[in-house]
Formats: sequence, structure tokens, C-alpha cells
Amino acid sequence: MARSLWSGSLSFGLVNVPVALFSAARDLDVHFHQLHAPDGARIEIRRFCSKEDVEVALEDIGHGYELDSGKQVVLTDADLEAVAPRKTRTIDIQSFVDRDEIDPVFFDHPYWLVPTGEAEGPRRAYRLLVDAMGERDDVALGRFVLRTKEYLVVVRVRDGLLALSTMLFADEIRPTKGLGPGGRQPAKAAVDEAVKLIEALSGDFDPADYADEHRKRLRAIVKDKQKGGTVEAPEQDAEPAVAGDLMEALRRTMDELGSGGKRSASASKGSKTKGSKAKAKGTQKKAKGSRSERAKSRG
Amino acid sequence: MPRSLWNGTIAFGAVAVPVKLYSAVATKTVHFHEVHLADGARIEHRSFCTKEDKQVPREEIVKGFEVRAGRYVVVDQDEIDAAGGTRSRIIDIERFVAVADIDPVFYDKAYFVGSQDDGADAYRLLQAALARTQRAAIGRFTFHHREYLAAIRAYEDVLALHTMRFADELVGPEDLDVPKLSRKPNAREVEMAGSLIASMHAPFRPDKLHDEYREAVLAAIERKAKGEDIVAPDEPEAEPPDDLMAALQASLGKGGPMAEQEPDGKSKSKSKSKAKSGGKPKTTKKKAKA
Repeated sequence: MARSLWSGSLSFGLVNVPVALFSAARDLDVHFHQLHAPDGARIEIRRFCSKEDVEVALEDIGHGYELDSGKQVVLTDADLEAVAPRKTRTIDIQSFVDRDEIDPVFFDHPYWLVPTGEAEGPRRAYRLLVDAMGERDDVALGRFVLRTKEYLVVVRVRDGLLALSTMLFADEIRPTKGLGPGGRQPAKAAVDEAVKLIEALSGDFDPADYADEHRKRLRAIVKDKQKGGTVEAPEQDAEPAVAGDLMEALRRTMDELGSGGKRSASASKGSKTKGSKAKAKGTQKKAKGSRSERAKSRG
Repeated sequence: MPRSLWNGTIAFGAVAVPVKLYSAVATKTVHFHEVHLADGARIEHRSFCTKEDKQVPREEIVKGFEVRAGRYVVVDQDEIDAAGGTRSRIIDIERFVAVADIDPVFYDKAYFVGSQDDGADAYRLLQAALARTQRAAIGRFTFHHREYLAAIRAYEDVLALHTMRFADELVGPEDLDVPKLSRKPNAREVEMAGSLIASMHAPFRPDKLHDEYREAVLAAIERKAKGEDIVAPDEPEAEPPDDLMAALQASLGKGGPMAEQEPDGKSKSKSKSKAKSGGKPKTTKKKAKA
């Protein structure tokens, strides 16, 4: 099992529940190591003092902060721990809010909170929080400090356990002003048509429907290389041009759907392309699952 | 206006919406440099060959995938990039789903989608239709040579794009070593906990919440700059309850400075009040009301 990233206390009123924090996401990326090309040996990063040109042990490294005056202030790990000791050990629940009120843009990283300790009392307190929150559609809003950053957190019930998500602060979310086109609202008839199309292309969200194709391709590339092959970058899909007549494009897509067309066809035949074909170097073998398949499915 | 990170076209059917991607997030964490405590000089990271024990220039470093212990297949960056797929200019929409059906655990990074000049009408239309249907468009695209699954939904008067985690990247309860939870709490306890939750219920006002720790760190930096020591404030530590009912009652009591209230003379509640009376447990409640 994964190691816990943090352990401490979840504090709710005067009820404190000892918990351990585990990530709810795992890293399945294909990872590479740095190697020294001439001898194939692993590369190691060492920390050096830029002044003395000697290697420095981790415990001799501090946290430097440059003031506006240019003067540098150095904080030690102990200094940082002393800034807010309770916050580094306790998740303080400050309020409960309706879960619908929280826009998903606030969510950062998902975790699980697992009860720790052998004592009966704390375990019952954990269970009680699960049961009481599960009965309502509330989520708990709290905060704590993890690795020198304070997080706003949401604690909620998922699969009978307490799930925690770190959240962004409102001032960490950029304003959207100026990003959209602004201007007049689209005509109702056009929105109606677009809604119809969206509904026709709608389905349930089943996460199992989606596999990480990138990961598969990368593994295949490593395998090819192992056998001494070479890898060629796939040709890039063309970028479809904007339809001159939106209503017509919507209707045409609806018609194609109606006539047994498949969902997911992008770039229908008629549309011109902006032409962005990134041809890459290298030759011989092709990376798997690339353009040729897609071209077929598009017909 | 910030710089866009990616330009391309959202495509479904014959509908094409040319867009630009912007990061939705600007973290405000206080950033430090690594420095040598002895002389305050910056720390440099240097790459060493573990075999020759000598420093290695950048151009002699390659990437290797470990196929079995100690055995590597060297892969060029171009080849790694080739796994990125074919959608470096297109967000290929596969289907639409209800936003409410996507648990936020699937969302990884957030971006905002801006419009391009030649696609303003198409952008407005997609935005309005997604807002009305409360649906998200699910599609794939290639960003920095990596393919992502993405959900695009209406946010304020623009579109937001979330890159998504895949199902196998999520850790479920079955992957955790969860101790057996105790028997079901009794109805009275659940009811009291429910009242406590209700008493702490508040509207979500993100603009009222800010990173207090960041301010504390900046204040600590200032104190340190003046040559003062950084001393930990006297904050009570949270201790697990011996008596759950007493703790609930104490939490509920009066709504004001609740902890000062002794729960009606139960002997078991002593350790609880001891744990709390030293500090200032009022803070919890105050913040809850703020």
C-alpha cells in the first residue's frame, strides 16, 4: 500500500479525529531516468554551494527569500515549521457548505483520509462524521498546511470514507475578463440547434470508457526501441476551418448523425483546413495508434 | 492579457471553434531559493555520472527507460514526443456528458479557453449551449507533446477546460488499508453531529478566504530580516476525544465560546476539557462563523 503523506488530526468542533492522508491519484506515467550517454550510467543530482564550489548536504540547505531591497533572508526548516504549528498538524473544519456551491475549478488534488490509532473513540468519531455528512449533502470546508503551503480543503464522503481535496484560493484563480469574445448573445434558434446537437451526442460519463492512449503509445515506442527500431512522429490532424454558416454546419452534423454516422467525427469532409501538417523527422517505423486509424474511422 | 499556452480548434461534427488556452491558475505560494546555510550562497544543482563520479555536461545526458533492473533503453526526446498523438491543433470532441456526473477527482489541471478572432460566433454558440445544458464536452488533444483527455464546460462567460485523470490513475478505498470502522454510531450521536454540521453551515464565499499561512510566512521573513527569532505561537494541539458525546455536546453548547462550557459534569469529559482549556479553542468556532 502507498505510504501516507501526512498524519494529523481532523478537527470538527471539539471532536478530533486522528487521520492519515493518502493520495487518491497515482502516477502511472512512463518515467525515464537520466543517463550519461558515453557509459550509460545513471545521472545523480548533487547540490553545490555556488560560492565555495563544494557539495552541500541537504541539512545544510536553507530557504532564501529575496526582499524588495535585494537583501536576502534565510529561513530554516525549523523556522517554517514554527510559523503555524497547529496548521501543519490539524485540518480544522471551519464550516460546512453545499457541495453544489463549489465550482470544480477550485479543486486541486484528491486525497483520502484514513482513520489511525487503535482507540475506539477516534474510530467512532470518524464513522460518525461519515454517517452524519453522508446524510446531508454538505461538504466540510477546512484548511491545513502541507509542505509549506496552506490549502483550503474540502472533506466529503466518498465510498464510505472521508475524501479530502485540496482547493485553490479564489485569488489563485485567474480572472476570465477579456478571454471570451464578449459581444452579443447568439440567436436563440442557433443555441436551440446547438443544444439539440449536444443532446444527440450526449452519453453517460463512464471513466472506464477512456484509456490513456498516450501511455500505451509511449510503452510501444520503448518496446520498438528495445528491438532496435526507430520511431517516427505521427502526422498531425488538420485543423478544421470555421464554418461560414454555423446553422448549416450544425444541421449538417445532425443529418450525419441521423444517417447512422458515428458520434465523435470531427472535421467532416466538406470543411477546408487551415493546413497545419507538422511533418517530423525520422523514418521507417510509425508510432502506433496514430493518424492512419483515425483517418479510417472518419471514412 | 496573459499569453496563451496552446492555440487550436475544438471540433465536433462540422462545427469548429478556434480557441486559445490559458492557465486558469496562478499560485501565490511564497517561493524560496535553496541557499547554503553557512554562507547564504545559492545552491546549484549539478549532474554527476554515478559511475565516473564526475560532473557531466547537459549534452551528454540522455533519457533511458529501465526495462529491468539496471538495464535501460535509451529513447530520444523526439521519440518520446512522438507518443503525443496527432491532435496538436485540434480538440477532438468524443461526446457530451452532464457536468454533475463528473466527480471532481477526475479533474487534474484547469485552463480557461479564450476565443480567436475568426471564431467568435462559434465560441459564443458553444458557450451558450454548454451553459444551458450544463454539459461538458469530453475530448482529446495534444498539449506539449502529450495527449490529454479533457472536459470543456461553461464557466462564467467563458469556457473552462480541465485535463482529466484516467480511471486507473485513481486510488480507491480497496487500495487502502482502512481499519475496520467501529459499529454504527447511535441515532442520538448522528443527530447531534447533524446539528453541529447545521450550526456550522455557511454559504461558500471563496473571496472571503485567503491564504493566511502565506501572510504568516511573509511576516516571519520580515521578523527574521530584523534579526528576530521565529518562535512558534502557543497553539493547542488537537487531541482525540475519549468521550464522543461529551465532545459533541461541548461543541454544540451555546454557539459562542463553546469550549469554555463544561459538559454537564460527566467524569469522562475531563481529559477532553483538559486538552482544550489550555489554549483558545474558540478560534475554531469563530472562524466557522466568519
